[in-house]
Amino acid sequence: MNTLAELWRFDSPVWLPAAMLLLGYSVVFRRASLPRFLAFGLGLGLLVLAFISPLGALADGYLFSAHMVQHLVLLLLVPLSFMLALPPRETEQLFARPLANRVGKIMAFPVVGCLLGVGAMWFWHVPSLCSASTENAAIGAVRDTSFVAAGLAFWWPVFSPVARYRLEPLSGITYLFTSCLGCTLLGIYITFTTVSVCPAFANPQERIDVVTQLYDAGLTPSVDQHLGGLLMWIPPCTLYVLASVALLFRWYGEPPASSETTEAN
Amino acid sequence: MQSVFPVLEPESPQARAIYDLLLTVSLICGVIFLITTGLLLIAIWTGRKRRDLPRQDFGSHRKELAWMVAPVIVTLWITAITIKLILTISAVPEAHPGLPEGKQADLIVRGHQWYWEVQYPDTNVIDAGEIHIPIGKPLYVQLESADVIHCFWVPQLARKIDVIPGRQNYIWLEADKPGTYQGRCAEFCGTQHAWMNFLVIAHTEDDYAKWLAGKDADAEKPKVTDEEAGERLFFTEQTCVNCHAIQGTTATADIGPNLTHVARRKQLGGGILENSTENLALWLKNPQAIKPGCKMPNFKLTDEQVRQLVAYLESLP
Amino acid sequence: MTVGLLDKPQVEPADSPWGLFSWVASVDHKRIGIMYMLLAVFFLTVGGCEALLIRLQLAWPNNGFISPQFFNQLFTMHGTTMVFLVGMPVFTGFSNYILPLQIGAKDVAFPRLNAMSFWMLPFGAVLLYFSFFTGAAPDAGWFSYAPLSTNAYSLMDGVTYWILALIVMGIGSVAGAINIVATALCCRAPGMSLQRVPLFTWIMLMQALLIVITIPPLNSALALLLIDRWLDAAFFEPARGGDAVLWQHFFWIFGHPEVYVFALPAFAMISEVIPVFSRKPIFGYAFVAGSSTVILLLSYSVWAHHMFAVGLGPGANVFFAATTMLIAIPTGIKIFNWTATIWGGQVHFTTSMLFAIAFLIQFVIGGLTGVMFAAVPIDWQLTDTYFVVAHFHYVLIGGVVFALFAAHNYCFPKITGRMLDERLGKWQFWLWVFGFNGTFMVQHFLGLMGMPRRVYTYADNPGWFALNLFSSVSALFMAAGTLVFLYNVGRSLLRGERAGNNPWSAFTLEWATSSPPPPENFQSLPPIKSRRPVWDMDHPEMADWKTERTAEDGGRRPSKALIAAWAFVASEAIFFTLLLVTYVVFNTRAGLDDGSPGDGPSAASSLSVVRTGVFSVFLLTSSLTFWLAERNLKRRRQRAFKTWLAVTIGLGSLFVAGQVWEYAGLLADNVTISSNLFASTFFTVTGFHGLHVTAGLVALGVMLWFGYKNYLTEKRGKVFSAIGIYWHFVDVVWIAVFSIIYLRALQ
Repeated sequence: MNTLAELWRFDSPVWLPAAMLLLGYSVVFRRASLPRFLAFGLGLGLLVLAFISPLGALADGYLFSAHMVQHLVLLLLVPLSFMLALPPRETEQLFARPLANRVGKIMAFPVVGCLLGVGAMWFWHVPSLCSASTENAAIGAVRDTSFVAAGLAFWWPVFSPVARYRLEPLSGITYLFTSCLGCTLLGIYITFTTVSVCPAFANPQERIDVVTQLYDAGLTPSVDQHLGGLLMWIPPCTLYVLASVALLFRWYGEPPASSETTEAN
Repeated sequence: MQSVFPVLEPESPQARAIYDLLLTVSLICGVIFLITTGLLLIAIWTGRKRRDLPRQDFGSHRKELAWMVAPVIVTLWITAITIKLILTISAVPEAHPGLPEGKQADLIVRGHQWYWEVQYPDTNVIDAGEIHIPIGKPLYVQLESADVIHCFWVPQLARKIDVIPGRQNYIWLEADKPGTYQGRCAEFCGTQHAWMNFLVIAHTEDDYAKWLAGKDADAEKPKVTDEEAGERLFFTEQTCVNCHAIQGTTATADIGPNLTHVARRKQLGGGILENSTENLALWLKNPQAIKPGCKMPNFKLTDEQVRQLVAYLESLP
Repeated sequence: MTVGLLDKPQVEPADSPWGLFSWVASVDHKRIGIMYMLLAVFFLTVGGCEALLIRLQLAWPNNGFISPQFFNQLFTMHGTTMVFLVGMPVFTGFSNYILPLQIGAKDVAFPRLNAMSFWMLPFGAVLLYFSFFTGAAPDAGWFSYAPLSTNAYSLMDGVTYWILALIVMGIGSVAGAINIVATALCCRAPGMSLQRVPLFTWIMLMQALLIVITIPPLNSALALLLIDRWLDAAFFEPARGGDAVLWQHFFWIFGHPEVYVFALPAFAMISEVIPVFSRKPIFGYAFVAGSSTVILLLSYSVWAHHMFAVGLGPGANVFFAATTMLIAIPTGIKIFNWTATIWGGQVHFTTSMLFAIAFLIQFVIGGLTGVMFAAVPIDWQLTDTYFVVAHFHYVLIGGVVFALFAAHNYCFPKITGRMLDERLGKWQFWLWVFGFNGTFMVQHFLGLMGMPRRVYTYADNPGWFALNLFSSVSALFMAAGTLVFLYNVGRSLLRGERAGNNPWSAFTLEWATSSPPPPENFQSLPPIKSRRPVWDMDHPEMADWKTERTAEDGGRRPSKALIAAWAFVASEAIFFTLLLVTYVVFNTRAGLDDGSPGDGPSAASSLSVVRTGVFSVFLLTSSLTFWLAERNLKRRRQRAFKTWLAVTIGLGSLFVAGQVWEYAGLLADNVTISSNLFASTFFTVTGFHGLHVTAGLVALGVMLWFGYKNYLTEKRGKVFSAIGIYWHFVDVVWIAVFSIIYLRALQ
């Protein structure tokens, strides 16, 4: 497919929020270490790529599976990178104020993160909403923003830079496993149902001359949805398992006589 | 001559691709086995006579990570070649049930407890127990089940695939050269699962056309007395017609195998008997003694009735 | 070290006579553990005899020794017996016996529940084997694929007995597992932080958690099949709109984690035996423990690799191949840890260690053929042949059973106070090594020769006779090995050498008490400052805590009642999730715009959303009133507590009354559970929910009665809170049910 290269869309509006984020991060966390800055850069890069690469174009009403990849990048990878990019000390100071502390505490409540993270997946895959956000750019922007925000809320109880907001590692694993079951269910439904989950992708309008190519490649709408469901299901769960491994590592690596467990409460 | 290791003697491009993968993966697994067992044996051998208290070694993350890398790379490699082959073999758009648009199946194979029924869509031919195909041409086969789940497996020619009631599955079936290939039901499907074998018989293009033309004919009116008596038995005096079909006659039931071409088959009863006049008689005399639990009851036919029925069945085209 | 108690006579405490009844009535975790193991040994011989009959029938071609019907019953019963009556009980038995000792506990968390869990098993076993007397043992294979297992193709009662037995045993297993979870989390001795528990305990905790989440899918599948068979629904009957593949999904969602339910204990046992007989600590504790946790987390995402031949489509095949490869990594890496543990150690070739070494080699073979099956096209050739039979027997016998024999030889002195005979042990070992490998190695080749599994006989194809005969003859060696094993046990019980406290110089707490341990387990506990407290005691100069620091015990232990309640709720949640999945599957079909499964009643045509909505408010309010009751109990306001509790019960009863009203209306309109798939799914989901509400009401009623008797004080509030978790859970389930069934009907 030689047109794949032509699907890059460098005029995407994503540059604007990306620039703002970069500016904000460099101002607030001037003294962030290099690895953290790199993590931030990675998140930013993924964010931009999710829109300007051919993935972004295909996600825009052509391929449900491409939409799902974009969705996962926005909901899981970008927020995770941002979370890891937050330097503990400065963030600690930010959350020292009572109001901020209260917000941090609410976000640390596992039910909140779980509901937001898994809820965002479910909510935006109600057929009418899914179609609407694909066909209408404004709703689409709301959706994408909510993905990143929900993702941040989701990772907060696990990888928050401030220790007191983090769950105990074993509770964190339970949290991740529960979320995994949440997206597994949705993934199973999307994979095996014969109903079109997102009607906007079932009858794509030919605007950029790719539909025929996609069909020829075997990516008919039913195959596409099948693939989308599997994407929603297996990669997030794998990521959650990897995060669980990180938590286990932290747990076993806990310094002797650590008081972290008591502190976390 | 029947092949001894059908899985290792592929006779179609698809089976050969699977065989190559099998070989590669077995080789990798063999090497892994030798390495792990070798290390273990060395550890045991060197430790067998040690009598001083060994150093208490609690492990090292570095070593653990190091030996994790190798298996990860190996599994990634196996996964990659696996995925490649899955996508090649499934290249027909068969992800979701339903025939791809404009594509008509070349063959319809229907699993029954405990025999296989074969339909050649463009002709009248319906047969049981053996599938005739032309060589060198991939046939698109539609698989259905009349009752429970079966599994269609011709190791030398294609992957196996389940045959499931309520849905259709599709595979490509192809043979490189003429011959007879053993097929079996691989999914447990009840009492006589063991005898649900079938044969795939590959012909050259010409032979296939000849064979098909020969089969595509209706039953003629019997001429000899025994045959006539057998026909009477089949249609009126006994209940054969309630279960079996014969093309060109009023017999159309689909409970037992279609008997139009029964005389030409190589095997009877899903492979339990070679087909011959004596064996057909033996079968009719008491099917339950030969294939206990099969759907055909013992009709307690007299020897004469058996002879007449055999004569009739063997007179069919 | 081994001299300790040698010459002291073993005196039984007067209050625990070793009569038969004292065993039946016992709630001591050690006795219950022993009973589990004895049950498993009994059924090992039963299942083994079935296997021998199977091998006898297959020894030569065209054999008519066993009828096909009986052969099918034999392999069905062999599989079911080995999985549910040998595998499950024997591990629960070891867990029951060893785990509390390893963590320095007096007993399991809930001794009476423990006894109940055990006695469910013989009950289930009787149900299962009674089917033989009805003339029709189950014969649809141990995974009873529908529609073969539905009424249309299995008219006799065998499959029904199979379902009932599995449900009974499943309930027992879940209860037992919850007990183990609560024990490991709540009953550890001071100093034993969770990072310090022996690997056996940690991995068995993972296994118990896995049982808690893996049995419910089986139960929901069994419930649906039973409804098909008894109430004439058609969940699994394609001829009437059902789905044959759904059964496979549900069964393998249970079935594959079940493999890890067996494999994890094997890892657990090997992780105890190998360090002790190498005189070294395990190499990479965190790695072995952590990878077991990862297996638990991943085990739910690989089930469809049992279904590669179903034709799920390339997408599903690719993803499940990838996850299967992924789970192979934490499973396989452990081999290196065990090898590294032996490396540089002082190896003692006891029978136990020999079995452990054979385990390592054979498990690698089984694991590698497993990797071959994960390469999907290979599976397309070899699944359902004798190659797969060889593969899983290498995992389950070569791996699991060998690990069990290692553990048996290792733990026997602790359990009985007597040593097993090493010479007989070695006889048993070699008989099993030759018997096992002889039986199953050749089956790999039979698979390559195209021999499908589960055939009662075969034609005289080239090579088949010789290999089958070889396999059958080798099986006799395993049988002989088993006889040696039984003789060895009997002989040792009568006149075995006395074992001291710690005959193996082992490391963990169970070896710090007498053999067999007294009813209260420990007279006194050594200080627990590392993962190997007994090693520290024996080698103070090289104590672990001096070099290898581990997380200190914070001293906090969660409440037993709450942990049990949460585990139970998790299990139930999965059960309901699968029922709801069934509802969604059968009520959202393409081409049917109203979402109904074809003709007949549908949610939109038969349900009154508003009326049920009102009754739902009652149920949801009851959660609020329960919370008020709980708060008043904590604040010692008994009157208000009782009032709110009574209101809760009233509201719950109103909800049930509403449901009865609804059912009556539906039945009057001739909408029954067998009408169509909407009706079947609707009655199944709401019916099970209604049963749960009713059970909750009974529990609340008991609580109210306790309240009036003033038994329920704020100190016993935990029990009340535990019931509260259940009650709130039932309400949450209803929210899901209401949204999925009723709110969708509005659209």
